[in-house]
Amino acid sequence: MSEKNVILKVRNLSTSFVSDGREVRIVKNVSFDVKRGKTLAIVGESGCGKSVTMNSILRLLGRNAKVTADKIDFYEKMPDGDMKIHHINEFKKPNGKEMNFLRGQKISMVFQDPMSSLDPVYRVGDQVMEGLREHCKISKKEARERTLEIFKKLGIPDPEKRMNCYPYEFSGGMKQRVVIAIAIICNPDLIICDEPTTALDVTIQAQIMDILQDLQDTLGISIVMITHNMGLVAQMASEVCVMYMGRIVEKGAAEDIFDHPCHPYTQALLKSVPVLGMSGEKELATIPGATPNPAELKDGCEFADRCSYCTEACRSGEIPVYEISAGHTVRCIRAGQQEVTS
Amino acid sequence: MLKYTIKKLLMMIPMLLIISALIFFGMQATGIDPVNYLASPDMAANPELMEQLRESMGLNDPIIVQYFRWLGQMLTGNFGTSLSTGTPIASIIANYLPATLILSTIALILSTILGIALGIISAVRQNGIIDYIGRILAVLGQAVPQFIIGMILLAVFSVQLGWLPSSGRYSANAANPTIDAIQHLILPVIAVTISMCAVLVRYTRNSMLDIMNSDYIRLARSKGIPEWKVYIKHGFRNALRPVLVILVSRISLLFSGSVVVENVFAWPGVGAELTDAVVAGDYTVVMVLALVIAASVLVASFLLDIITALLDPRVRANL
Repeated sequence: MSEKNVILKVRNLSTSFVSDGREVRIVKNVSFDVKRGKTLAIVGESGCGKSVTMNSILRLLGRNAKVTADKIDFYEKMPDGDMKIHHINEFKKPNGKEMNFLRGQKISMVFQDPMSSLDPVYRVGDQVMEGLREHCKISKKEARERTLEIFKKLGIPDPEKRMNCYPYEFSGGMKQRVVIAIAIICNPDLIICDEPTTALDVTIQAQIMDILQDLQDTLGISIVMITHNMGLVAQMASEVCVMYMGRIVEKGAAEDIFDHPCHPYTQALLKSVPVLGMSGEKELATIPGATPNPAELKDGCEFADRCSYCTEACRSGEIPVYEISAGHTVRCIRAGQQEVTS
Repeated sequence: MLKYTIKKLLMMIPMLLIISALIFFGMQATGIDPVNYLASPDMAANPELMEQLRESMGLNDPIIVQYFRWLGQMLTGNFGTSLSTGTPIASIIANYLPATLILSTIALILSTILGIALGIISAVRQNGIIDYIGRILAVLGQAVPQFIIGMILLAVFSVQLGWLPSSGRYSANAANPTIDAIQHLILPVIAVTISMCAVLVRYTRNSMLDIMNSDYIRLARSKGIPEWKVYIKHGFRNALRPVLVILVSRISLLFSGSVVVENVFAWPGVGAELTDAVVAGDYTVVMVLALVIAASVLVASFLLDIITALLDPRVRANL
């Protein structure tokens, strides 16, 4: 893959949290690329480290988090077509100048819970403008006009009046639009959406997704979509990472993941998705067991206890990652065995 | 907002009436007979004369009548005279209030600046050196009673080192009256400031830490604005509300003073005078001072309501 098409390159990202003097690893050796103008979906159940991974990249985690990585490279496209590489993992301060240059302007984030993501004491218009005025150094009037434009684009009714409202005067769906407005106001190259529709009802979900899809089509932005909604993945993503207990267990093009899921977890995940028109008698598949406590993990594959194919070999040592077709990798010893037999 | 302000202002009238009634009937319940202060021992032996005196002072009227008479006097600015000394209470207030005002104002300003600054730094540099110092000071300042702080200060700086005067506002024959007055102020101000500061540091720090962990701080950071703006605009502005409650409620201290510190340093303020009046059973003075202090508490809470509404749009919306 040519470097020109990559916007974010992450290699061996690990994040751990220190609590009660103990270090608990939440994200382990995660590597992936985000392609320019494409959507990467990160799926997995709650608590598998999806959000932590993305917050690690933007260095937005609290003081008790420890982030290490061989590479977190962001490729900034310069006006002359050259690439400028920002080595985020080498930034000294998590909230320093270098990081703040990228945040909002180059990489922005749409957060999970719109209810608590807006500052209650400022007008929403001012909150949207804040980043714009910081990065672009434009007058308040120009900033207002830009904000107005974005509000219209996002389908916020009566934008001129709504700009002067406070967050508590907005519904959940409207708040999420404001959060999206904050994320897109500076025309970033990459938007990280952390379950942008989890807190919203289904009709609003569809609207928000349309807005994001439209932004990608018209502006060519790249999107990282954190979700556990497989329908959404099928609709939007060109590539998919499946995470389980802080690791990427399977990664590949969306078609590969949907048509040839190789990891037992991915297979189980896909089976557990309800399909419209499914017969009433058919029971929806569930994954037995619960996610283990990350502080008490044993050797071997994290999914072993819940996996129906589990063998002795799964429970010890480091599980290798196999590439089963171009760009499609899976972290499961079965994949290795299949490779040998085929 | 204007309607809200007027409403809050009008609310103060019945409140003040209730408080004045509580003070008046409360003092009546103590059973102090003012006539005992006025009569000479010879006269006290003559019940007829005593009765005459009572009658002339209106003390035999029904208690409700007495209350409204007293209230009327208060409203017209006639505070009456001290029972024990005969001085007009208005001039007692004029004498003692400036001393309390100057001590409390300086301490309030100093403790506000120091307390909030220390609280913010403690939160920003959580578990740093300043945070540890701030936390230790906060616990000490709250745990050690004011009079012990005052006495330690006296013992060290006044008795042992002899740097500063130990009591009063002025020396009788000072060469430079201004410097003399400042020297008298230093120790009482420090004593009041330390304990006021302690509470404020803790509140500011905890409130700030709480807010800095919230989702909207993370969103503010994701916009790429400089960290100090995140702290001041989004952090402090939101953390300020609980802190403000303490600050504004302290406005009444400007008038009531710190009873303990004023006594330790023999500071001729309202607090010290109130203690003297209570000890002497000088109930006309106690009533007026209590009313003045209660009124200042009411004004403080009125200001608090207004300021909270100004700071928080959600409160404003529900007016």
